Amino acid sequence: MTDTSSDDATEAERVTDDATDPASVTGPGTDHESLDPTEAALGARGLTKRFGELTAVGGVDLAVPEGELRAIIGPNGAGKTTFFNVLTNALEPTAGAVYLHGEEITGTPQYARPHDGLVRSFQSNQLFTEQTVHENVRIVAQTAEQGAFSLDLLGRGRDLATERAHEVLELTELDDLAEETAKNLSHGDQRRLGIAMALATDPSVLLLDEPTSGLGAVETETTADLIEDIQSELGLTLLLIEHDMNIVLSRSDRITVLHRGEVLTTGTPEEIRNDDAVQEAYLGERDEEGSL
Amino acid sequence: MSVATLASTPDELPSIPWLLAGLALLAVVIVTLAVRPQLFISNLVGGLVYGMILMMIALGLSLILGLLGVVNFAHGALFMLGAYGAYQTVALFELPFWLALVVVPIGVGLLGVLMEVTVLRRLYGEDPLIGLLATFGVALMLEEATRAQWGGTPLSFDPPAVLRASVQVGFLEIATTRLFTAAVGALVVGGLYVLMYRTDFGLSIRAGLQDQQMAEFLGIDIPKRFTIVFFIGAAIAGLSGVLRGAEVGMDLGMGMDFVILAFVVIVVGGLGSIFGSVVSALLIGVAVFVTPVMLRAATTVAGLEWLYVSGIGGLMPFLVMIGVLLVRPRGLFGEEGLLE
Amino acid sequence: MSDATEPTADGRDRLLASISRYQVPIGILLLVGLLRPVIAHDALLGSSYIASSMLIWMLFAAAFNLLYGYSGLLSFGHAIFLGTGIYGVAIGLRHFDLPYLVAAPIGVIVAGLIAYGIARLIVGYGEIYFAMLTLAFAEAIHFVVNADPFGLTGGADGLRSGTTPGWIESFRGQSVVQLGGGEFDLYYFVAIVFVLATLALWQIVRSPFGRTLVAIRDNEELARAMGISTARYQVWAFTLSGIFSAIAGTLLVIRNSGASLENFGMMTGAEVILMSIFGGMSYFFGPIAGAFSWFFAREYLTNLEMVAVPLLGTVDVGPILGYWRFFFGFLFVVVIVLSPREGLWGFVRSIADRVRRRLTEVIRE
Repeated sequence: MTDTSSDDATEAERVTDDATDPASVTGPGTDHESLDPTEAALGARGLTKRFGELTAVGGVDLAVPEGELRAIIGPNGAGKTTFFNVLTNALEPTAGAVYLHGEEITGTPQYARPHDGLVRSFQSNQLFTEQTVHENVRIVAQTAEQGAFSLDLLGRGRDLATERAHEVLELTELDDLAEETAKNLSHGDQRRLGIAMALATDPSVLLLDEPTSGLGAVETETTADLIEDIQSELGLTLLLIEHDMNIVLSRSDRITVLHRGEVLTTGTPEEIRNDDAVQEAYLGERDEEGSL
Repeated sequence: MSVATLASTPDELPSIPWLLAGLALLAVVIVTLAVRPQLFISNLVGGLVYGMILMMIALGLSLILGLLGVVNFAHGALFMLGAYGAYQTVALFELPFWLALVVVPIGVGLLGVLMEVTVLRRLYGEDPLIGLLATFGVALMLEEATRAQWGGTPLSFDPPAVLRASVQVGFLEIATTRLFTAAVGALVVGGLYVLMYRTDFGLSIRAGLQDQQMAEFLGIDIPKRFTIVFFIGAAIAGLSGVLRGAEVGMDLGMGMDFVILAFVVIVVGGLGSIFGSVVSALLIGVAVFVTPVMLRAATTVAGLEWLYVSGIGGLMPFLVMIGVLLVRPRGLFGEEGLLE
Repeated sequence: MSDATEPTADGRDRLLASISRYQVPIGILLLVGLLRPVIAHDALLGSSYIASSMLIWMLFAAAFNLLYGYSGLLSFGHAIFLGTGIYGVAIGLRHFDLPYLVAAPIGVIVAGLIAYGIARLIVGYGEIYFAMLTLAFAEAIHFVVNADPFGLTGGADGLRSGTTPGWIESFRGQSVVQLGGGEFDLYYFVAIVFVLATLALWQIVRSPFGRTLVAIRDNEELARAMGISTARYQVWAFTLSGIFSAIAGTLLVIRNSGASLENFGMMTGAEVILMSIFGGMSYFFGPIAGAFSWFFAREYLTNLEMVAVPLLGTVDVGPILGYWRFFFGFLFVVVIVLSPREGLWGFVRSIADRVRRRLTEVIRE
């Protein structure tokens, strides 16, 4: 998929270059995005979140075309996770709009998003800790099957969800651990379970919040491979917050750089590597992390 | 939480239904003033004084809630012990009431500290429901202990002569206990405000509220300060108990009744807002006392006596709360994010 | 040889598996069968007088735990639903001459509607506020019942006469059911309803709905991010819990021969919390064990007058034990501080586990 997706991206660019939508020239970061948000798999226009005086996300425009692996990078405190939170309505945006496959979903409740095909994983290991790996995934699959609410007291939906859970666990290579209690898993397996649960919702757009954080070098590569495999197998559009620059530069189709809650630039790995503004934004960070 | 059902109501100009409701209320007030001016005014004063008691308990409760994240269910029991303590001092030991006014709150405060050190301190950082349940257990123990010590029947004692008199204000006669209670309540609110916003101690407490680790890093002994705050909250509860006991006496149910009412006050005022608690305590106090009079007057004038509901006063706090929850889920002066 | 033994071993495994799968139903049937004869034994209470009260409160506690144990929402106001069940029957029989089998379902449905309405209003608040708001509603409804609206509830006097169905015969505190010529103790009527209701609760807990509730309890934020409408699940958990509490109420009104205001009181809601948490909210049988120990302690301790204490001789403990609630409250606080989720049943289970492990070791040797 990665081999061909760059072609997709260029094609998408060509399409939107023709259709110069006036609406897309509003926010500060607009000129970096080549596609209109309403035509992308996942789009945002002027998305803003303020906490009192503090602007965590300020007028972000985003347009991720179908099938793209887009990385979001930026120094600590750039507002990456908050951006995910407003995209999924875990936090209500102060202003702006979110689009999924051309439809505006800004006001819909958080729990409705996975049913529309937009789901996220968490930066910290968020699990149903007291239950087995299989049950974690099964509950999500059951929800995808039965809807956001179902008063299923007789267990009619159980078998279907069980099957689906097994499929997802196989896909994420967790099937050996299916009967383990979630809280007893290793950190790496917990991270993978988080991804597996997101997949169980049968998403079309997947937001991953630092899927490799806290992992060793080998595990990081395996996880990156896993993510790529999943994307190509399921044909997902991926939005990825990631600190590991090797992964970002080698795996993503395009990269969006957030800085102080705003889009600094968006471009291919090559363009980002050579962007002076990006280098500058990271200068303060580099000493601490040396990540770029 | 559940954005769809609990979206905050934006501040808008009052719409026509609100305007009509306001006018109707005004009309009823005028009617009541015309029919029974004396009763209306004296109940208004009674309601304000009752609101003062509610306010003191609610402030102690919300101080502890804001700081420690624990709804101290035993707060009502401490209030009750304040009243029984005053009874013990005045009626059984035959000591002066003024002594009780000083000693009993201190004693209740120390009991609160004992509770904080033995039970609550182990539960900070745990599921907040656990703290609620633990203090609930303590409240039941205190209630049962009170029953063992003073019996189950309601009691009262004679306050000093000064507080049994009344003062003529215009055409109105106001009992001095009520004036005294109102004055003490105002002093407590003022004192708390000064303590929290005008002293280094208050600053360090509020710093601890914001960021406990940072405050500890700066060398502030947070646990000790929490204990002091708990003492203050408990002592205020004890003080309100002494005042309430002097005015109307005491019984075993008063603790539970008042802790529930105090919580209603906090919810109506908006969590985390001292100003909101003050306003809503007075509002609810007045509603409890004035609604029956107004309803009586309005139904009499309109010739619809059957509409009069006896005991509507006691129901008012809950009706106000349900109304506020429906219209403004965050309370009158609540801040965003405190509930979620 | 091996061919002959293997199927048996396999069969035994399957039997063990099905026993552990149906642990709860088996436990419920054992409980109902053994409760009466066991507490009537001379070494225990020596009377089966309170057996049916115990069963009813066990049901109430299990219904309460559907909310607290399985969905993590604490209610101080469950007296509302028990009381609605009780008053539903009492009002229906006394004022409208309805048969019990009509009045009881009406009471249960009304309780469900009240629960649904309250939950819709308050489910969005954080757990502490939810708990305190249920309490405020309980207080408000207690107030309404006390005011005797339209002369229905009898105010502070409650409803006594005319609230017992015709097929119940009460004699010296023993109630007997008379049906089609035959008659049997009220206990068995209560037991049938108890078994059906607790089985239904068990089914709810293990159903997809119930599993989702537990997931929400474990991690509400994650549940919402995964597409679960947490608020609606919680509303229904509250409603179902209210409905089963009301069922307990429709039984209690017969047992107590009438409705009294304290059924709606603060202490009723408090007692079910104490029982459930003392018993152990993490287990299906926890609250049931809690209700048992509550009643057992009450009967046993209040009947106790003299205790022989070594070195001190006999001591008259009657006056102290009259305040047995104080000691129960103390134990409750200890349980909360030490292990708030395990309770008595968790303690019993851990001992049973240890014994079992020791036994298997001994057998293996």
